Amino acid sequence: MSEFVLELRGITKTFPGVKALDNVQFQLGPGEIHALMGENGAGKSTFIKVITGVHQPDEGQMFLNGKEVNFKNPTEAQKVGIAAIYQHVTCYPDLSVTENIFMGHEKIQKGTRRIRWKEMHEEANRLLKELGASFDAKTIMGTLSVAQQQMVEIAKALSTNAKIIIMDEPTAALSRNESEDLYRITEKLRDSGTSIIFISHRFEDMYRLASKVTVFRDSKYIGSWGVHDIPNEDLIVAMVGREIKQLFPKVETTIGSEVLRVEGLGKTGFFADVSFSLRKGEILGITGLVGAGRSEVCQAIFGVEPADKGKIFVKGVETTIQTPLQAMNKGIGYLPEDRQQQGLILSWGIDKNITLSSLSLISKKGWMNRKKEDEYANHLSKKVNVKTPNVANLVSSLSGGNQQKVAVAKLLMTGLDIIILDEPTKGVDVGAKSAIYEIISNLAAQGYGVIMVSSEMPEVISMSDRILVMREGRITAEIQAKQATQEAILEAAMASKESTEGQSLEASGL
Amino acid sequence: MVANNEQKGTLIENIAKFREVGLLGFIIILSVVIQWRNSSFLTLENINDMITNTAILSILAVGMMLVIITRGIDLSIGATLALSGMIAALTVGAFPNLSPILAILLGTLVGLVSGLILGAIISKGGVLPIIATLGMMYIFRGLTFMVSGGQWVSAHQMPESFKGIATGSFLGINNLILIAVLIYVAFYYFINHTRTGRQIYAVGSNPDSAKISGINHDKIIWLVYTIMGGLSGLAGVLWVSKFASAQGDTASGYELTVIAACVLGGVNIAGGSGKISGIILGSVLIGIMNNALPLINVSPFWQTGIQGSIILIAVVLNALVKRGVDMNALMRRRI
Amino acid sequence: MDQVNKKPFSWKGFFLQWEWMLILLFLVVNVINTNLSPFYLDSVGLRDATMTFLDKAFMVFPMVMIMILRDIDISVSSTVALASVVMAHLYTLGVPMELAVVICLAVGAVCGLINGLLIVRFKELSAVIVTLSTMIIYRGIAYIILEDQSAGSFPEWFGFLGWGYIGGVPFILIAFVVMAVLFGLLLHKTTFGRRIYAIGNNPTASRFSGVQVDKIKILVFTLAGVMAAITALFLTSRMGSTRPNVALGYELDVIAMVVLGGISTAGGKGKMIGAIIAVFLIGFLRYGLGLINMPAQVLMIIIGLLLIVAVMVPNLKPKKKAKGKPPKSQDEQIAG
Repeated sequence: MSEFVLELRGITKTFPGVKALDNVQFQLGPGEIHALMGENGAGKSTFIKVITGVHQPDEGQMFLNGKEVNFKNPTEAQKVGIAAIYQHVTCYPDLSVTENIFMGHEKIQKGTRRIRWKEMHEEANRLLKELGASFDAKTIMGTLSVAQQQMVEIAKALSTNAKIIIMDEPTAALSRNESEDLYRITEKLRDSGTSIIFISHRFEDMYRLASKVTVFRDSKYIGSWGVHDIPNEDLIVAMVGREIKQLFPKVETTIGSEVLRVEGLGKTGFFADVSFSLRKGEILGITGLVGAGRSEVCQAIFGVEPADKGKIFVKGVETTIQTPLQAMNKGIGYLPEDRQQQGLILSWGIDKNITLSSLSLISKKGWMNRKKEDEYANHLSKKVNVKTPNVANLVSSLSGGNQQKVAVAKLLMTGLDIIILDEPTKGVDVGAKSAIYEIISNLAAQGYGVIMVSSEMPEVISMSDRILVMREGRITAEIQAKQATQEAILEAAMASKESTEGQSLEASGL
Repeated sequence: MVANNEQKGTLIENIAKFREVGLLGFIIILSVVIQWRNSSFLTLENINDMITNTAILSILAVGMMLVIITRGIDLSIGATLALSGMIAALTVGAFPNLSPILAILLGTLVGLVSGLILGAIISKGGVLPIIATLGMMYIFRGLTFMVSGGQWVSAHQMPESFKGIATGSFLGINNLILIAVLIYVAFYYFINHTRTGRQIYAVGSNPDSAKISGINHDKIIWLVYTIMGGLSGLAGVLWVSKFASAQGDTASGYELTVIAACVLGGVNIAGGSGKISGIILGSVLIGIMNNALPLINVSPFWQTGIQGSIILIAVVLNALVKRGVDMNALMRRRI
Repeated sequence: MDQVNKKPFSWKGFFLQWEWMLILLFLVVNVINTNLSPFYLDSVGLRDATMTFLDKAFMVFPMVMIMILRDIDISVSSTVALASVVMAHLYTLGVPMELAVVICLAVGAVCGLINGLLIVRFKELSAVIVTLSTMIIYRGIAYIILEDQSAGSFPEWFGFLGWGYIGGVPFILIAFVVMAVLFGLLLHKTTFGRRIYAIGNNPTASRFSGVQVDKIKILVFTLAGVMAAITALFLTSRMGSTRPNVALGYELDVIAMVVLGGISTAGGKGKMIGAIIAVFLIGFLRYGLGLINMPAQVLMIIIGLLLIVAVMVPNLKPKKKAKGKPPKSQDEQIAG
């Protein structure tokens, strides 16, 4: 018998163009709550999917109670008692809670093959009661709140007699009280002998629950510590940990007049009371946890999902922006977070992608001028230094970093004044990152007003002139970059107890 | 907050329940109004006629419901019905002594095979349901004309025993109604109390999760189109027996009436939900309207337009209700 | 750009295009037809044959665009019926034919516009269910107007559309060629066409790139309505009268031609020329089978089979390839 319930050694997993996990290790003790921490894109989600059999690793070994295992699919992992509760709840919204709990392992009457509904309902209600849920097992899943759905997912894990439960950012969508409930449940599970891997961005979660913490960074294993054996500052360094200075080629710029101002921007269910301004030549960093509403604010300004409250001023003039085209005509450009889904057409060439957002420049009365398109595409792809022999090559053949450069090149074609970059270095390798920083820096130097949304603290601190921190749909701090520290930002990004209570009161008054 | 959510939950459930009660209420009010305008509506003869018509419609609606639950659609059922009905009619024409039970089985078998082929094309061939069923509609329709040589099979070519399927009764209840009720019960059990039945809902509710839960997606898709084919085959025999004629263009366009019955009965066109009780009510309502419109001097030529409007209004209303529910959920979010 | 090492590859790629397969198929059909019937290659026969199958071919052009957009429109044949019936009915009521023709086109445009608006406003409904409903409604209105009557006896000049010749070439063929060129240019040479492909490939990225997805969809569906009205004009002219059940099932022929023409049902791929070849392929097949007195039902079966096989064949290929690839979008996997 091994001293670990679950042990992984030398796990490597590569996707086309990206190394998602690089020689990673992990050890989970019995009855232990083990926090797995790291920045967005550190490889945590992929790691979870390897454990649960969704992905098969290219290299490495996995041991369950000392015995080597290889999962070909999620069902196999389920059978040996590994259950995962994902970030985005994966459920059947049209079916009852009972069915969601028992999907795949229904109780079947021997002989008649009939589903034993009564027994399943009873069992489901028992599990829910154990978790302190107040809803009935016959409720339709889609009518529950996210917190309640999460409880169902936990009940599901319990119903399979899971010995190892993985929670992937379970508190991200929960309120204070709901988080407390979750802590209570998690501790109860631990006390009954279940081992838990807990992924979270909140230090609060970690200190409240975990006894051990493992940190991943840039797809690599950094280290494991007892939660109280490592000072918080060291932990942050472990998570962030690169030589900040040489990576960020920030150019000093003169900051000019105001180009954009938003006042009291709000959208039901996403963000409220957002006000800030942006000036020429300035890089305004917006940071916060995933789900804090950063992208939503940017997309509202860009007209993808217009806000339903508040005002937007471009160069001092109040404007209404309902579509991306209107935003672009006002001089606002947006680099989406998800470049593969939102930013680029992967099955198209680099040239056609670059020109898509400004076809009017390469056409006359609607007629395309292919020669002009070629010129523009070649010029711009050279400008951002896309590494390709031919601009007609498909975007899907490029690496993540080069794809991102193409997405940036799209923005440079039209005469924009304001550029919003949403997680510009997400899923990009370190080398290409620094190239992208250089581009951003040059943009500001050329007089663009730049908004940079990012979850990576060093990136925000080093690149920005000013930093806005968002939490739960509101701006909680505005910090001059020169005075900014990671601790100050983290504090503003993660709710402290009192302020949250105050906030929820405020919101319910709305 | 939790208590509040619970209340909201039951409210939405109430809307779902209200749909059926509302439908029932509407059916009753409609019947009363029609009866008031024309007293020949609620005569025994007319009611019998209506119910037997509705029986065939609702049998098809059961199959269509399963297809729509998996996010599909089947436009070939009118043609499958015609083909099975024609083959059954030709067979009993050639062998007048054939037992009517065998004729029913034969028609159902023809439908099953048709559905089996269609299901394979959709699940294994990766052809969109709309394209595959349009194509098969042509093929089945063409085959119907070919096996009949373009001729009708009319009443005098069919033995009495065959026509008796639709007109006869058992324990005082018309056979068609009996068969329909049997189908309701069987499928109610199937979709609510067997694992495969529930997997149909799971596949429609969230195809990606279904794959993670280890459900064989292709198999379920294949199955629902096969069931749909089998029910169309059965309906084909019943249809030909009831109207005592089999033609190349039998039930042409009837798939649209069936889809209307499903949508009206609360089957979500986006997949994942639908109930037997709902589609029975939906079928009854359509049956009443088709029967009663001429009785209250609405030209029969209005029927098509009214049916199309019903489908459109029903799906648009469903979408609006769903939007309201989603908006409520957003309002509940704490910001 | 013309590197030497590229040549063998590009030859292969060039000839492996779907359009060449179609031309090959087209030749095979013609060879078989010539052998089956000595009358097949009669030039007058061939010329007149085009008149009978080209009317519905006008709907192929916008349908190519709709299917590249990843949508479908099965209401087009009902639009033909409604436009035709309204025109004929107004004419019998004493409206001048010229005005009736204009109204016919307007009816088509409105039908298409309604489809487009519904699809854009109710994104949770698929184009299948929206156009299925309007298919029934438009046909239903045609029935309400004419009931089981037919209407016709149009002025003589109207017959020119369906039966006229210019310099020995059927007018409908000229109109078709002109339209084919126009639509080909529109799809392949303009920003409008480029945006249609963009939407079909990735509607989200298109929206983020400032492409007015909704506006383009509405326009394309309206265009489909107008082209259905043009089909109504030619069809009504050729038949001399109209009834509410006219053009029944045309949508299938049109969709079959588009799919056979190599336009992917998954959207974003395909060329106008492919669909145009498919129009003639199916048209000549029909003509040849007609010459040897093959019943129309055989043709129905053949079209149905062609439709399904055309979609299935390209689907079967990439499945093998896909095995090596990760199942979902890459971004989801590398996130967090």
